[in-house]
Amino acid sequence: MNSRIRAGLIGGIFGLLISLVSGGQIAYLAGIIAGAIASQLAAQEEDVASVRAGIQLGLRAGLVAGALTALGVFIRGFLINPLVNVSADASVVFMLGLGGLVMAGVAGVVFGAIRGLPSPQNRFGTLLAFGLLAVAYPFLDSLLNLRFMNEVIPVLIFILMALGLNIVVGYAGLLDLGYAAFFAIGAYTTGMLASPHFGISMPFWIVIWIAAAVAALFGILLGAPTLPLRGDYLAIVTLGFGEIVPIAANNLDNVTISILGVTLLENFDLTGGPRGINPINRPSLFGYAFEPSQPIPWYFLILGLIVFSIFFILRLRNSRLGRAWSAMREDELAASAMGINLVRTKLLAFAMGATFSGFAGAFYGSFISAITPASFGFDVSVILLCMVILGGLGNITGVILGGLIIQFADRLFLPQLGDVVQGLLQNSNIEVLKEINFKTDFRTMLFGLTLVIMMLVRPEGLVPNERRRRELHADDEATAHERQTLYDAEQA
Amino acid sequence: MTNAPVLELKNVHTYYGNIHALKGVSLTVGKGEVVTLIGSNGAGKSTTLRTISGLLKPRQGEVLLEGERIDQVPAHKIVERGVLQSPEGRRIFPRLTVKDNLLMGAFTRSDKAEIEQDLERVYGLFPRLKERVAQRGGTLSGGEQQMLAIGRAMMGRPRVLLLDEPSMGLAPVLVEQIFNIIREINSQGITILLVEQNALMALGVANRGYVLQTGQIVLSDDAKALAANEMVQKAYLGIE
Ligand SMILES: Nc1ncnc2c1ncn2[C@@H]1O[C@H](COP(=O)(O)OP(=O)(O)OP(=O)(O)O)[C@@H](O)[C@H]1O
Ligand SMILES: [Mg+2]
Repeated sequence: MNSRIRAGLIGGIFGLLISLVSGGQIAYLAGIIAGAIASQLAAQEEDVASVRAGIQLGLRAGLVAGALTALGVFIRGFLINPLVNVSADASVVFMLGLGGLVMAGVAGVVFGAIRGLPSPQNRFGTLLAFGLLAVAYPFLDSLLNLRFMNEVIPVLIFILMALGLNIVVGYAGLLDLGYAAFFAIGAYTTGMLASPHFGISMPFWIVIWIAAAVAALFGILLGAPTLPLRGDYLAIVTLGFGEIVPIAANNLDNVTISILGVTLLENFDLTGGPRGINPINRPSLFGYAFEPSQPIPWYFLILGLIVFSIFFILRLRNSRLGRAWSAMREDELAASAMGINLVRTKLLAFAMGATFSGFAGAFYGSFISAITPASFGFDVSVILLCMVILGGLGNITGVILGGLIIQFADRLFLPQLGDVVQGLLQNSNIEVLKEINFKTDFRTMLFGLTLVIMMLVRPEGLVPNERRRRELHADDEATAHERQTLYDAEQA
Repeated sequence: MTNAPVLELKNVHTYYGNIHALKGVSLTVGKGEVVTLIGSNGAGKSTTLRTISGLLKPRQGEVLLEGERIDQVPAHKIVERGVLQSPEGRRIFPRLTVKDNLLMGAFTRSDKAEIEQDLERVYGLFPRLKERVAQRGGTLSGGEQQMLAIGRAMMGRPRVLLLDEPSMGLAPVLVEQIFNIIREINSQGITILLVEQNALMALGVANRGYVLQTGQIVLSDDAKALAANEMVQKAYLGIE
């Protein structure tokens, strides 16, 4: 199959699923997403020599993706909606489908053209285009009347954390199953320093740094006992820490400490227990107060935190410490033989990873304004790990993409799919089917199924390093026959 | 011995848990020498090198580098002092490129220009590595991996180079080549402690040699004399 058509089909699947399940004006956005993905994938397959070639390639892939998106719109509008008794105006559905197709084509052309630019500009341009899309999202959201802003912000909080976890798991190769603990520590630090709980009201812009520092400190404290451990043993110990932190938060609402008969603390409420801490103060900037009813400033705040973090993480990766992480990940003994201080390198991985979770926790606490121990359970750690692994360990683009897919699937797509299927079941004439509660019974299963399928189809993650892999394969072939003649003793 | 030892082991005892692997090993390596440590499987050769490079701590005895004790110094500090090891089984970084593997050898250094020079020096010793700079270490052939492991240790500007079975698993042509390179490295003024199964070749390049048997030094002499020794000939050279 032609690689452009294949790229178009893959991008189109996203467009089709989104427009089919969500319905309505999201078709335009679905078209943009499908077109962009298709165009990127197509450009990955072949070298794009010029802007002109890029436009051609992007148009082809984008239109294929757009056609699938339109198909999704039509299935939803003409087949599903009548079944669940939603009236559908044929001309409106038709216009939506056309809109999806056009947007996919436009997105395909734009991204294709950028890929056709000469070498440094094309990467920068691609980054800029995705950045602009991220900046434009709130306006698209209100333009298309999507009302997803309150879902998008938590998604971004998780992406920020996944970026931090990627340092620990992807860069340093330390399997951490209790990463949510640092999220909790960041959030609780914020709760204690900026709420009526202790009557302290430090400004958010200071608290967020303290939260990150405290999280980093706990990263070191929790990392220290795991130093001699590796692989599965390490995973189990971190799992334990992940459990201890929320349990401690749950129980530290009545602390009494007495030493030698001197009572230092009596019935001291440190964490608020199961009720947690609320209300946590919200940030304000130059007199502007962030409000829960106004999601846009929050959106840009978390987006800014993510951009800052990516910048910082890229610097880290290319630093001496980053090189020490990759050596340690590959072979601890050899790394040590190269003069790498394993203790320091490991502890800094935990500390740096925790820092970003601390940022995320501080933001989360202020955004939600009420934190309870229940929000920081094992499920958070697991979903973050899924995000990191699905996208491609150690690859920032991959982590963001994997994170977006998993988070949107979990928060928006699967619930909406549940609604659609539930509607179909309710409107069927078969009694047994009406009794099934699809939304609650099947959502987790579908989520698990999605993960299993993804990992089977692409075990190396969504964004593997294509270029490098091709290089490797070429080299394999070139050396194969040389090896037979030169190193025969080894093969015997 | 003609000059003061660069490296000296005095009555070193090393354990793996309860296993007493080195039972009082003493040896010296002089400046600019090639000294070889021969012995059969499980004699404790690798354990000796690991003890010198700080990966294992001796329970008793001393390791001295230019007269200073290093037996309680952490491994990464010993590397900083110029003792580099090409470990048994190569242990290159499989997913890093050849060049990144080599640069990892220079981890403790920050002199960019000189690192670049040393890179060229290593490519001079091992032209095959230069052809494969962008290839991942894990996809190199066994012989190339061995070259990479030696080259990587060279990138640390060693004063003492510890080589653990550099000829393991190589075809005769390549074994010859590796030993020539060892000679060349030594001629650049680098002191070498060489652990080998291939006693014949090892004694060919070495100035002196030690024979290790179940954790103890049983013989030490000039390389030529060792090669002529009846017991060595029987046990390690396969000469009846
Ligand atoms: N990690 C370990 N744990 C327990 N025992 C070990 C360990 N490594 C080595 N030993 C034991 O210590 C002894 C010496 O091992 P060493 O690896 O030093 O032998 P060697 O002389 O290098 O042998 P070879 O030529 O086969 O490499 C052996 O009896 C071995 O079983
Ligand atoms: Mg050995």
